[in-house]
Amino acid sequence: MSLYQSARYHFMKDVGASALLRLQKKRKRKRPGKPEPYLGPPLKCSGRLREIMTRHYYLSRFAPGAKPVAWVTSGAPVELLRVFDFYTVYPENHGALCGAQKRGPELCSEAEKRGYHPDLCSYARIDLGHAFSGKTPAGSLPRPQLLFCSNNICQTVLYWFKALSHYWKIPLVLFDTPYNFTDIRDHDVQYMASQLREMVPELERISGRTFSETRFREIITIARDSSALWGDVLATMKNRPAPMSIFDAFVHLAPIVSLRGLPVALEYYKILLDELQERVHQGIGAVTHEKKRLMWDNIAIWFKLRDWSLLFAERGFNFVAATYTNAWAETIHYLDEGSPFESMAKAYGLVILNNNLNHRLELMAQMISDYHVDGLVVHSDRSCKPYSVGQYDLKRLLSERLGINAVVIEADMTDSRAYSEEQAKTRLEAFFEALESTP
Amino acid sequence: MGVFPAQYPKEILWAMNVVPVEIWDPPLKSTAASAHLQSYICSVVQLGLELVLQGKADILDAFLFPHTCDSVQNMASVIFDYIGTRKPCYFFYHPKAPYGASARIFYRQQLSDLANSLASQFGPLDPKTLKERVDQGRYIARLLEELYQLRAQNRLELSNVAFYQLIRHGEYLFPDDWTPELEKHVKQQTKGPGNPRVPIILSGVLPNPVELLSLLDKLQVRAAHDDFLNGSRRLLVPGNDFKDPFEQLTESYFSMPPCSTKGSAVDRRRDYLFKLLEISGARGVIFNIVKFCEPEWFDIPNLQESLKEKGVPSLVLDTELHQGLSGQMATRVEAFIETLG
Repeated sequence: MSLYQSARYHFMKDVGASALLRLQKKRKRKRPGKPEPYLGPPLKCSGRLREIMTRHYYLSRFAPGAKPVAWVTSGAPVELLRVFDFYTVYPENHGALCGAQKRGPELCSEAEKRGYHPDLCSYARIDLGHAFSGKTPAGSLPRPQLLFCSNNICQTVLYWFKALSHYWKIPLVLFDTPYNFTDIRDHDVQYMASQLREMVPELERISGRTFSETRFREIITIARDSSALWGDVLATMKNRPAPMSIFDAFVHLAPIVSLRGLPVALEYYKILLDELQERVHQGIGAVTHEKKRLMWDNIAIWFKLRDWSLLFAERGFNFVAATYTNAWAETIHYLDEGSPFESMAKAYGLVILNNNLNHRLELMAQMISDYHVDGLVVHSDRSCKPYSVGQYDLKRLLSERLGINAVVIEADMTDSRAYSEEQAKTRLEAFFEALESTP
Repeated sequence: MGVFPAQYPKEILWAMNVVPVEIWDPPLKSTAASAHLQSYICSVVQLGLELVLQGKADILDAFLFPHTCDSVQNMASVIFDYIGTRKPCYFFYHPKAPYGASARIFYRQQLSDLANSLASQFGPLDPKTLKERVDQGRYIARLLEELYQLRAQNRLELSNVAFYQLIRHGEYLFPDDWTPELEKHVKQQTKGPGNPRVPIILSGVLPNPVELLSLLDKLQVRAAHDDFLNGSRRLLVPGNDFKDPFEQLTESYFSMPPCSTKGSAVDRRRDYLFKLLEISGARGVIFNIVKFCEPEWFDIPNLQESLKEKGVPSLVLDTELHQGLSGQMATRVEAFIETLG
């Protein structure tokens, strides 16, 4: 690591980033947003979230040379990288950002020009498109020294990171998580724990830093506590009216995905939870007149987030639960600083997408009951096979078992070219009608 | 036992007197599967599920689902957890590359776990029989290696269609029945090269649509080797003789040619293609890729680029199983072959 780059990074961290945020705040003040009549008051924490994420992306530009840089998949056990002080960037989070800013098709096209098929995952195409063209709404992303991947969310991330590894000629470290066709077995846990132990020398070599088990335990504790707080944040939506919506949660998810294991995530969720509890206390809902409560299945349709938030709110429908946002609260409680490797193997090997569909069915049935859900919106995401294959049956079984209304929307998380507004509208209108006619 | 694609230790099934019948591309029209699967799921998975839904797999005693990709993984769960088959279902997860030291221990354990689960339905596994079957697997591997070599040297008088029929018989024949067929063709090798035909390499999941092979035959083109998932990528490397058959099977898994579904690095796949080009003298590569097959499609741009750098022409076809070759696609193949001279 160079002294100059290290000094520059610390200067930006202590001075530059703060100046940028002050400037942004000033600009923001000049352009106050118009209040939406069907939505409750916006969360005060949103400003703090924006600051944290802007700072994270901004500082990442100065990380190379000052800190080891890794690109990480959303389900990877990042706590291990934190021990070596890696600056971590999440291409999936960046993909969501591009999607929300409606830049998906543009960046996907950059990958398609290089021969990547338009049927491939759009997060991957966005990320490869960024790697090839440098285009990003985040200004710029640092080039990594390491790609850290876990196939506990899909095999696609492995194919995608393989392509990056080939393009940049940098190492790819895989955390291979056997899929739980039935229950997780002891030797699955042993295999995963052994892999984590085997990674240590490789991470020491790449980062030039030494592994500290004490530090590892501390980070695990922070990650587990942050995740527990995130679970508490989501649980506030069990209240009527729910103080936030899943559309809010999709956004406030960013720290638990991208900054897990860092104190900033823990601090942020404490503030968010306090605010939500206060809203519950005061009876403030995310939707002005909450009539029906809905559940979302799959990744968000990022480019429709704002539109759909209003579309549902104006009918008094609020999304109060989602399998996607729940994923970062569901299993991290397994983390145990007393047996860091084994517990990490369990926490990451048991995530929703690495579990069989029967587990998903039971989980959703439980959430529908816990969150008093009246209807289910299933996003059949063209990009995400492990989340989408099985959804038709899932919808049928939940409707039959629990008698709830459900609708499947064919779309994509970021590539709006794979989305038909007309088709979605027709399906949603029928769904709204059915919901409104149900007591 | 019905076995879905792609990697599994067939010797364990043979040793239990079980015939693995691989389900790659049943010749069906997909109708019932669309109620369970989205249109963006590949036809290997669509047709596999269709076979089950139409009751055409009812004669089977059980199913085995290896962990090949996200779609096969979830189809297995749809069948097991949601639809139900009234047949025992077995699952086989194999480690993905890049492999650490623990991958070998895990794979060895997976083999014994599979054997133990099968034992409750098919009786205990006799270690002596397993050793015999593993040796038989190695013998078959040698025969296949020889056949592929003969094919590369143009000393096998078989059309492309006939060659892949022979290879694909191994997807459902018991080894005792397949071996004589392979031996017969090895014996029928010609002393010198046969009629000159343009040598090429085929890559992809499997040689379907068969019309591609027929067209190549018509154009006097010889598939001199392949990088098919159901072809050379599953060729065992006979290698060292291990006393413990489980160790032998473990060694086989980790020495097999690289494969997208095992997470093999692009460089390894590229080097493997280069090796095939060298041993066969092939002049070009046709990638015949099943639509929506993510593991394959992700590797294509880098493989094509590597071939281009080496001066090897390549063609990518985006095909559906049993959908034949459109006029446009056939014209592209013809034009590609013309450029090879």
